[in-house]
Amino acid sequence: MRLKPVFIVASALVAAFLVATPAPAQKQGGTLRIYHRDNLPSASIHEEATISTVMPFMSVFNNLVVYDQGKKLNTPETIVPDLAESWAWDASRTRLSFKLRQGVKWHDGKPFTSKDVQCTWHKLIGKDPDDFRKNPRAIWWHNLKEVTLKGDHEATFNLNRPQPAFLSLFASGYTPVYPCHVSTQAMRTNPIGTGPFKFAEFKRGESVKFVRNPDYWKKGRPFVDAIEWKVIENRSTRILAFVAGEFDLTFVTDVSIPLLKDVTSQAPKAVCEVAPTYVSTNLIVNPAAPPFNDARIRKAMALALDRKAYIEILSGGKADISAAMLPPPEGVWGMPPEFMRTLPGYAADIGKSRAEARKIMQGLGYSEAKPLKVKVSTRNIAIYRDPAVILIDQLKQIFIAGELEVIDTSIWHAKVTRKEFAIGLNLTGIGVDDPDVNFYENYSCGSERNLTQYCNKEVDALILRQSQEADAAKRKTLVWEIERKLVEDLARPIVMSDRSATCWQPQLKGFVLHHNSIYNNWRFEDVWLDK
Amino acid sequence: MGAYLVRRSFLMVLTLFGMSVLIFVMLRLVPGNITDIIFDSAGFVNEKQKKKIEQQLGLDKPIVTQYANWIAGLAKGDLGYAYVSEKPAIDEILPRIPVTAKLAVLALVFSVLFGVPLGVISAVRQNTALDYCLRVVSLSGLSLPSFWLGLLILMAFVQWFGWIPIYQSDPGSLWKEIALLSIPAAAVGFRSSALLMRLTRSSMLEVLRQDYIRTARAKGASDQVVNYDHGLRNAMLPVVTIIGVEAAFLIGGLIVTETVFNIPGVARFLVEAIRWRDYPIVQNLVMFIAIVVVVVNFLVDMTYAMLDPRIRYES
Amino acid sequence: MAALDHAAELEKAGANVSSRFGAMLFLARSYPLGAIGAVIMVGFLATALFAGAIASFDPFTINARDSLAPPGGAHMLGADFMGRDVFARIVYGARISLAVALGATLLGSLFGVSVGLMSGFIGGWFDLLVQRLIDIMQSLPLLVMALVMAASLGPSLTNTIIAIAIPLVPSVARVIRSNTLSLREMPYVEAARAVGMSELRIAVSHVLPNTLAPLIVLATAQLGSAILVESALSFLGLGVPEPHPSWGRMLSESAAEYVRTAPWLVIFPGIAISAVVFGTNLLGDAIRDMLDPRQRC
Repeated sequence: MRLKPVFIVASALVAAFLVATPAPAQKQGGTLRIYHRDNLPSASIHEEATISTVMPFMSVFNNLVVYDQGKKLNTPETIVPDLAESWAWDASRTRLSFKLRQGVKWHDGKPFTSKDVQCTWHKLIGKDPDDFRKNPRAIWWHNLKEVTLKGDHEATFNLNRPQPAFLSLFASGYTPVYPCHVSTQAMRTNPIGTGPFKFAEFKRGESVKFVRNPDYWKKGRPFVDAIEWKVIENRSTRILAFVAGEFDLTFVTDVSIPLLKDVTSQAPKAVCEVAPTYVSTNLIVNPAAPPFNDARIRKAMALALDRKAYIEILSGGKADISAAMLPPPEGVWGMPPEFMRTLPGYAADIGKSRAEARKIMQGLGYSEAKPLKVKVSTRNIAIYRDPAVILIDQLKQIFIAGELEVIDTSIWHAKVTRKEFAIGLNLTGIGVDDPDVNFYENYSCGSERNLTQYCNKEVDALILRQSQEADAAKRKTLVWEIERKLVEDLARPIVMSDRSATCWQPQLKGFVLHHNSIYNNWRFEDVWLDK
Repeated sequence: MGAYLVRRSFLMVLTLFGMSVLIFVMLRLVPGNITDIIFDSAGFVNEKQKKKIEQQLGLDKPIVTQYANWIAGLAKGDLGYAYVSEKPAIDEILPRIPVTAKLAVLALVFSVLFGVPLGVISAVRQNTALDYCLRVVSLSGLSLPSFWLGLLILMAFVQWFGWIPIYQSDPGSLWKEIALLSIPAAAVGFRSSALLMRLTRSSMLEVLRQDYIRTARAKGASDQVVNYDHGLRNAMLPVVTIIGVEAAFLIGGLIVTETVFNIPGVARFLVEAIRWRDYPIVQNLVMFIAIVVVVVNFLVDMTYAMLDPRIRYES
Repeated sequence: MAALDHAAELEKAGANVSSRFGAMLFLARSYPLGAIGAVIMVGFLATALFAGAIASFDPFTINARDSLAPPGGAHMLGADFMGRDVFARIVYGARISLAVALGATLLGSLFGVSVGLMSGFIGGWFDLLVQRLIDIMQSLPLLVMALVMAASLGPSLTNTIIAIAIPLVPSVARVIRSNTLSLREMPYVEAARAVGMSELRIAVSHVLPNTLAPLIVLATAQLGSAILVESALSFLGLGVPEPHPSWGRMLSESAAEYVRTAPWLVIFPGIAISAVVFGTNLLGDAIRDMLDPRQRC
């Protein structure tokens, strides 16, 4: 017997929320000016895995559901309707149905229907002939069998197995709904969405422009007439320009802690919020390259890491020591500090850990006079190079003489994928603060973005278990168990989880920075300029 | 003269052809190919999808075929598609030329305005304190890296005016645009003005040593007339040529200056395209630069021939 | 472009040529700017050679507590983001600059001289080919050529040297070739040929030494541009990579991040580059004046 899905009337909740907050009188008009830090690769969010694309282009689209743009933390409870008015699981917990909003139009005037939803996800799982030329988040949807339709305004996602966190995947800025009638190629250069802003112009290395969508389905939104992004690759130049008032908002987390002092003193009225970037600095070790196939050496390296020193130098002491998940208070799933201290290599007394590491290395025949020589590879960007230099300095303590090998930034991932490295220093950003996203993407067997191709069947089984666990508290303990295993296996030792500031001018109102992901709050439909 | 023109034109074409082969081959030596780079922003590489992209871009064809396709396209005025933006390469290159050209013209104006008069003064006042002073200044112009000079200027502006003179795509008025561009132009032009000044000085000195100048002096012409009327006019020929050559070579200085001042011109675009291994952009831009240089050299030689009756081109 | 007989010149001028020191003093007095240049260059060379003795800090050691420490105090010229001593990095950076500048100039001259000499001597199709190649290479500005070279070779110290050396070749080859052509017709070369000396020997023992003067003038000028090009390449991120403390890269990194918070990171490496290039230019001018009497005033 099939139970009739009970749709949550979430829009009523949102309406109630809007009434509850005394909203200041928003002003209409103006151009929102934001700087961009680098060359954005393409306009197609689904084909890229970088904030460089998501941050500007999220405003062109809508998702089915989205993390509340007005709340700082992303949790399963802050997921609000977007193109889906409501959603419901069936009794088997393997079918998730979305009731779609009616009367929504794409920017080119065509109506939005359930077909578009089906198309988008069939492209993501490789079922559509015009598939994405790159599909970095295919692993997110590994549990999705197919999307079935009921009329023009209902779509059902059929899963292989229950996955309670499945809905969270839809709420990310990484998960917009694409139009069926526009080719994936066109979406890279001239994206069409249903969102509050229409794409206007993209001058490579110079600027990206968006204009207000007058037919936006959310009445009265957006408030600003246009968004103008200007690319400035040199960080001092762009921060100077922000201080001089040329921009309303900085690129997300662009103001590092050492630079923050300058901004707050030069532009005292600017609002600066320090938040986790949820980009972790991590060590990748190629287990296939001798002598690192020896677990003892990998353990010694883990023991040698002085995380405090990294945090002190790179973030003025502000960043967090972390395991795989973002630690509390911002992180929803991260382990408490007292649990973390029990992980190997996370002990407070680094001297003791290093002595142990040296003993291991001596046992393997290395010494001050006869160190293990190794190349430490990293990408040719300061945020990669700086921690790599510190790593080399720290490895010196345990008789490992590292030599920095700087890899042209454009071929870094290619080199790593082909395992042309011994030790590497890498940064990993997490799209959604949910274990499914992080674990499947980075640690599961066979995932394309699992850079070291770490594979432990036991861990895989645990990942599957936590993914099916509906009870949040029980899931947390499973998650922590996995994190401990990952640390013990040195899957991808996390050196730190960074914190950095995002700043905006006081005239920018209605903007809320998310604190446990940088990828999800760029819809810009609620922001307005008080000029 | 006619035969010479034919021969020069033939050599020009030959040179450009050689350049096209050279740049084409060198680009293909670059470590890492474009598909790796396209994948980089996705944080992984998928070999199967990569193959498909290579096919789409025609990178799987033999290098000779790729070259032939490029040249055949060039002959028809088709520069191909930029790999990264997937737009026609011409649409990426053309809109970036005006701002670079404006910068180059301003820089040249700056360098002529300062370089030539100071060079003349230096020569006329040879071996005085003023001459020494000017020579040291001009040498320093050749010694300061122009990007460093640009940075210092930026720092100074922010320190003292609380304002940063970076490029605006819509500056409002022509004058405002000139004012904005003249700052980076000065940073580039400083070097050329130093070069011009040194050249003007030595050319002046050379001329002032000539017999006809001595004759003029002997005949009792005033210093004024000798220096500026006879001397300057004859010293200008090599100066004019070097101005022409500098104009073509300014692009070197513009590369770093456009980077420092965040100006979206062709010079900076070249560096970006190299970093992105965007072959269609790089090879076409390099050819563009080479054409400018070769043509300017040719024009300079022609001007020389016309201005200086002693030069005869016989082949 | 005959070289002057300096001893005779000095004698005429009444200098005490019996002592080397006296000769130097005389030269310094007649070319004061050149002398200053020479002093700068000697200082630069000494810095590069005795870097370890001059800098009290290790240029690679990082120190969290000294991150962005201002000048004065323990760090004479301040410290960078990683707490590395700026003075030590500039001192060691002299080595990189010297290695690149000397390496590229020598390599470029070596190739240029051999190509130019061969071209002038062999003539015919070889000469034509070389001339066309020179045309091709000279149709791009030095920095653009070096940029493309550096990109296609990949980042490393050796590759940077090669990338800068190659664009220097054509101008050397061109000068040497034209000198060779005029020297070939000189009576003493004809004489050597008449007594049956081989072309190779003539080239090496009679022609080559006489092309040295213009070569030296050119090479000193190129030394300066090699340093500038290296710094520009590194500034653009295509030059000498970490961990080598290259001045250009020190500038690009600090300029990208800390122009305001730590301006000393931008100012001092720039001064180092400018001073050394200034020195080579002063010296180059003096040498040119010395070797080319027509320019002398």
